[in-house]
Amino acid sequence: MIHINNVSVNYLGKKILKNISCDINKKDFLGVIGKSGVGKSTLLKVLCKLIKPNSGSIFIDCKNINCFSRTNFAKIVSFLPQYVDTSLSFNVFEFIMFGRYPYMNALKIPSGEDCVIVKKIMDFLRITNLSQRKINELSGGEKQKILIAQVLAQETEVIVFDEPNSHLDIGSQNNILEILRDLNENYNKTIILTLHDLNIASEFCNRLVLLENGSICSQGHPKEVLNYVNIERVYNTTVIIKTNPISNKPYVIPVSKQQK
Amino acid sequence: MTNKKKIFIYLLMLILLVIVMFLFSLMYGSSKISFVEILKIFFGSVDNNNEDIVVIIKQIRLPRTIMACIVGSGLAVSGCVFQAILKNPLADPFTLGISGGAALGVAIAFVFGLSSITNFFIPFCAFVGMNISVIIVYLVSVRKKFVSKTMILSGVVVSYVFSSAVMLLFTLSPSNNVQTAFVWLMGDFSNFDERMLPFITIVVSVGIIILSLLGNVINTVCLNDEKSKTFGINIEKNITFLFFTASIITAATVSVCGIIGFVGLIIPHAMRKIVGTNNMFLIPASAFFGAFFLPLCDTLSRVLFSPVLIPIGVITNIIGGFFFVCLLLKSEGIHIK
Repeated sequence: MIHINNVSVNYLGKKILKNISCDINKKDFLGVIGKSGVGKSTLLKVLCKLIKPNSGSIFIDCKNINCFSRTNFAKIVSFLPQYVDTSLSFNVFEFIMFGRYPYMNALKIPSGEDCVIVKKIMDFLRITNLSQRKINELSGGEKQKILIAQVLAQETEVIVFDEPNSHLDIGSQNNILEILRDLNENYNKTIILTLHDLNIASEFCNRLVLLENGSICSQGHPKEVLNYVNIERVYNTTVIIKTNPISNKPYVIPVSKQQK
Repeated sequence: MTNKKKIFIYLLMLILLVIVMFLFSLMYGSSKISFVEILKIFFGSVDNNNEDIVVIIKQIRLPRTIMACIVGSGLAVSGCVFQAILKNPLADPFTLGISGGAALGVAIAFVFGLSSITNFFIPFCAFVGMNISVIIVYLVSVRKKFVSKTMILSGVVVSYVFSSAVMLLFTLSPSNNVQTAFVWLMGDFSNFDERMLPFITIVVSVGIIILSLLGNVINTVCLNDEKSKTFGINIEKNITFLFFTASIITAATVSVCGIIGFVGLIIPHAMRKIVGTNNMFLIPASAFFGAFFLPLCDTLSRVLFSPVLIPIGVITNIIGGFFFVCLLLKSEGIHIK
């Protein structure tokens, strides 16, 4: 469905991404992993039309993304950046309503249909009780749910998340990823996300892309990507790979240097 | 929704306040005129021996009060918009160098004696000066993609350069011109030209109506740029439009009654406390409150130490400051933007 063809990005004279090629199928749950500063976020931003690649192109359903108008593109791909300003004292309902912008007219006044959709999404995420609260007064986990609700209000087929669970405790992390899995399996959404936690990546994603210095080191099923040769080379550390007895997927245990 | 109902009640209350204030402003001054007499003047027949009162009301107080309402709401609304596009709570209509431009325009007009040509020349020069400073700030900002820090910095720099130019002009010119230019700039309702009233009223009210309708667009501008782009919004185009609309409103008000500080800063904050951050409601609420606040200050400036008239800037700063400190202390901290 999404075809990334030989994409390179330079920033301030430095090559951030080098000749990235990758195919993403409909209903994929794709995790992008790699060290900090390796170009994960840049790749997502190129995919979301926020950064123009210096060379190469990206096609969605065989159509170059440069051919989409900004509004039309916002109806196909939605993006949750790593940092969103939630210090504004909008109430939750108003804040989620921003996600309906691509569907509104020039004055951006919400229609009855927009309200119905936002209410449906709040029911789905079980946050209706927060509706009239101010977003700057919510906890980290609640804020993340509101941001996901906002993205869902865009009703796009492809949803891109940049580290959706950073700064959250393990309970909230699982909660957020379960929501994403539900969306992927039951609502046919294509989900692309970056993750730092390799175990979560292995547990939830059906495909992984491992980046190293701006190019793809390995891609495929978590079992193929997460082997100790790849991980030790990319992250420059020592690890042991075991298999999760319940899900039968690999999990990664760090080893301290003293133990060696 | 209960929240919406509450806000509509607030807006209705504000409209009532504006009407009451308007009548008050007509009634009080160096001579008090009763409410019944005012009604008679507008709707009924007037006794011949009361012609003085008719002159006071129709030719002095009415234009002055209308002007105060218009200027108050104009400054409040443009302050609101500037705080949103600059993502900064300390922004006001004069942050981006408008005052510097106005000062230079007026200074040039007075120093070179252009004011003697026609009365309209001073407002005209102020307007032109402001537009020049606004365009300079815009040209710098557009190259930096409207990052709020660069916009504020360029505004401050433009202001400094322009006020230095004013100082240079003043040191090189005879002193009596300097005095009149300074008085003009301080902000005053007592000697504006009545013939400017229709022009200002139209410019400011059209601007306010446009900005009120665009409340939701202004909302997106205060989000993170990246996030707004993914909603399919052209941030740069929106900021440009809002920036020029708010600047024109400010320029129109400044060109008739000088620089009145503080109104554009505190009214948006005060209203944010009451109706919330959503600009759909914040903009109209600020407009109404501005139309209440400035006539109030103007009336006080006429009444408090009458027959001495106090400059309105003094009153707005004292009342505004006191009121704002109370608001600050009452709630747990300001939520900005």
